[in-house]
Amino acid sequence: MSFKKTGVAILGTGNIGTDLLIKVMRSPFLECVLFAGRNLSSPGMTKASLLSVPVSAKGLQGIIDHKDEISLVFDATSAEDHFKHAPIFEELGIKAVDLTPAKVGRMCVPAVNLGECLDLPNVNMITCGGQASIPLAYAISKANPDVEYIETVSSIASRSAGPATRINLDEYLQTTEKGLQFFGACERTKAILNLNPAQPCVHMQTTVMAKIANPDIEKTREIVATMVSQIREYVPGYQLLLEPIVESGRLITMVRVDGLGDYLPKYAGNLDIINCAAIAYAEACARRAK
Amino acid sequence: MSRAIELVHTDAEAVIGDRIGSLSALRDQHLFISGGTGFLGTWLLELIKVLNEKHDFGVKVTVFSRSARAFANRLPHLGLEKWASFQEGDIRYISELPRDVRYVIHAAALTDRRLFASQPGAVAETNGLGTLRLLRASHLLEDLKKIVILSSGLVYGTQPWDRERIDENFVGPLRCDDVNSVYAESKRFAEIIAQCAISESKLPVVTLRPFAFVGPYQSLQLPWAVTDFIRDSLNGGPIRIMGDGTTVRSIMYAADFAFWVLVALANGRPRETYNVGSPEPIDLGSLAQLITQHFTPVPEIHTGLGQTGHDRNRLVPSVNRAKNELGLEVTFSLSDAIQRTIAWNQYSQSL
Amino acid sequence: MSTLPHITVCDATLRDGSHAYSHQITLDQVRAYATASEAAGFSFLEVGHGNGLGASSLQVGESLVPEGEMLRAAKACLKNTKLSVHVIPGFATIKREIVNALENGVELFRIGCHCTEADVSQRHISYVRSAGHEAWGVLMMSHMAPADVLLEESKKMQSYGAQGIVLMDSAGAYFPKDVTEKIGLLAEKLEVPVGFHAHDNLGLSIANSLAALEAGAKIIDGTAKGFGAGAGNAPLELLAAVLKQRGYKNSLDLYKALDVAALATKLFAGSLPDSNDITIVSGLAGVFSGFAKPVQRAAKQLGVDPRDIFFELGRRQVVGGQEDLILEVADELARRTSTNPNFYPIS
Repeated sequence: MSFKKTGVAILGTGNIGTDLLIKVMRSPFLECVLFAGRNLSSPGMTKASLLSVPVSAKGLQGIIDHKDEISLVFDATSAEDHFKHAPIFEELGIKAVDLTPAKVGRMCVPAVNLGECLDLPNVNMITCGGQASIPLAYAISKANPDVEYIETVSSIASRSAGPATRINLDEYLQTTEKGLQFFGACERTKAILNLNPAQPCVHMQTTVMAKIANPDIEKTREIVATMVSQIREYVPGYQLLLEPIVESGRLITMVRVDGLGDYLPKYAGNLDIINCAAIAYAEACARRAK
Repeated sequence: MSRAIELVHTDAEAVIGDRIGSLSALRDQHLFISGGTGFLGTWLLELIKVLNEKHDFGVKVTVFSRSARAFANRLPHLGLEKWASFQEGDIRYISELPRDVRYVIHAAALTDRRLFASQPGAVAETNGLGTLRLLRASHLLEDLKKIVILSSGLVYGTQPWDRERIDENFVGPLRCDDVNSVYAESKRFAEIIAQCAISESKLPVVTLRPFAFVGPYQSLQLPWAVTDFIRDSLNGGPIRIMGDGTTVRSIMYAADFAFWVLVALANGRPRETYNVGSPEPIDLGSLAQLITQHFTPVPEIHTGLGQTGHDRNRLVPSVNRAKNELGLEVTFSLSDAIQRTIAWNQYSQSL
Repeated sequence: MSTLPHITVCDATLRDGSHAYSHQITLDQVRAYATASEAAGFSFLEVGHGNGLGASSLQVGESLVPEGEMLRAAKACLKNTKLSVHVIPGFATIKREIVNALENGVELFRIGCHCTEADVSQRHISYVRSAGHEAWGVLMMSHMAPADVLLEESKKMQSYGAQGIVLMDSAGAYFPKDVTEKIGLLAEKLEVPVGFHAHDNLGLSIANSLAALEAGAKIIDGTAKGFGAGAGNAPLELLAAVLKQRGYKNSLDLYKALDVAALATKLFAGSLPDSNDITIVSGLAGVFSGFAKPVQRAAKQLGVDPRDIFFELGRRQVVGGQEDLILEVADELARRTSTNPNFYPIS
């Protein structure tokens, strides 16, 4: 029953990268052969060292040095850096899973388009709100052919929004809206993000609303329910809070995302879901390669 | 040894007395104490032992220290308690706390005056970086209620001789081009790091500025006036004072210190800074007499041994903010504190 | 009296009033009101959706008229009164909304966010300033944070380039002593002028506005006849009277400032805010005044007491923009009280 796990690397040792590391270490299909960043004394590096994971402070060069062991790299740096990294990964023949908003490769939501992404050299995980809302928008558009407009609102705990998220709110909204357009087959979309400082920290909640002339509510509920159970296979904390309903002329459905609490706190479902999606994609690639 | 433990236990019970109401926020909580095996840390554990055993508080403690295992062996009456777990490590490299911790006390620091002279770089690194790392790790907690960081009364720089007490708004001069400032500056850096965490991440940090203390578990090898005097008296004297004995300090008993820290943890207002110490001034000459009177024969006190020209100085806090906002009072008078400390050292030595 | 400062009076009728009118304000109403506001001499007229630029949405309600048209219509009626907008990062983006608003002649951007989240305003304030226009920082729901936190957040906005800081009592939850403490601290410690935006949920909008002026505020917000979210704002006509009687310098024509009340009564007949059990509970619970209408809708659909919804939202410390939680809370309350004869499960 023993087989060789697929060697992966994580570039970026911040909170996202470190949480990914814990998820990779739990995976039956993946093995972290390198945890690479710039700061050897970062908390993530400390954690990786304690877990006996090979670490490198040489960043991208660390990946290049170990290219033969690495089939796939999770890039958890920044959009700016990923633009530089992407062509190099492609040249090295390393598949890139991009967790930054760089959008170099195809947008990937495992519950929706996993199959068509498996052969691509670079996939983008969109945004946290996108991973939560896009599958619902997709389900709604499957059940209703004439969706005029789709909107999503996410509320996350202030403490789960780091400085990069805060300074890049506009990019978050634009990227999420693009994802909704693409997967929801709808020209007009809107994304809204709220930061809530309440204590104890609120868990991520995402609402999807749509304007549909004659919504088929039964069919929508059915397809949404199936979609939710598919997502739960790779995001265990994803749960339907409000089944699709029609209120004031809007079709509305709402989910809550509890994180797994691997490295990041459980309330940070927004960070957990994008990592879970990245792992789901990487595992699918690994299973196929076997 | 059992008489020594008994004495501490009695004092821990006395300081808590009927004031458990002021600690009720800590019921059934998980506390993390960095530097939890030092003088303050040991006393915190003694008080928590009373809270758990006598008042059924159900407090869980994780003690983080470089010498956690040695501590557990040395003081089994604390080290073997089920509610206490010990984590050994270096505060400069701490990256995670147990997930269910809701209250954090950051007491880890290099506080030995001899180290300030011989390894000032290590003092700066441990006290500054350690605070930064602990706050970052706290940021990952699920439901963090409060962090208390232990700064120092020395961050005020020099207290003017004619100023009776210094309150939390006082700012005195400190020199950053003088290595002798390293401890005070490291604590100032730790405080500003905490202010950054408050501003950036809204961490609920309370800053305490402790002054001078005395009590069981305090090493008599540290060259502080009060410990020097007690050690020299235990050895039969004489007590040697370099100046004329008019330098002024104030000294709080360890049980009070630990109780104040716990109350600040439970009820301190996040973002606020509180002085912790005794507001009662005493000059070194009188302090020496307070100590020597407990010994027969009474050890001699020699003053004026040093060079002249060393100014007398003064370090006494105003603790009105802690009194008014947190309802804190000093329970043990200085003479009781001295008597208890001497007795504890005699019991411990007689082992 | 002669030492009292000049007060900048901001007319938020065509922005906050949008909440009271379910965002259905027409171009004719905009033109008629903007003309009156100009005549009255208000320093700024704020126009747009109740939640600001780019907020027309299913979440907080769709505007009848696209914001570009509203801004152009208002601008055409203004000469001395400057056109301003409310901007909430998370709803509005620079590329989509701020750029357009600049093209439509907006002169002042009031960049707002929940009162503890000032750093999300950095990019937007910087952009407006580098485009050569005026930007203020607005801390919303400011009853939820203590004075020292508000000061710290204000200083962040000031460092990003904000040329004024406004505290909004979005829930109408302040008492005068809170105003005195918070505005007093900001007025003492900030370099830029400080303002206050009141809501009348507890009947204190004028008392609180006066407390703000006495504590050093140099900017005051109001709406004609209080036309705004929840129980409405500080009525401009009363602010004009207070400013005159207390001797504050200002740019108003008293009679014409008083006239805006009659005009609002005519333009928005039937929709002027009034104090009722819902708006009072909104103030007590410290929940955003703009929630009043959606809360009433959800309460009706699910057969629960709207006041219970408000208290539960208050317990959860919701912030402005979280309107989607209203339905979830109402649904949960309906399930909890299954003996409720009107209970009709929505899922």
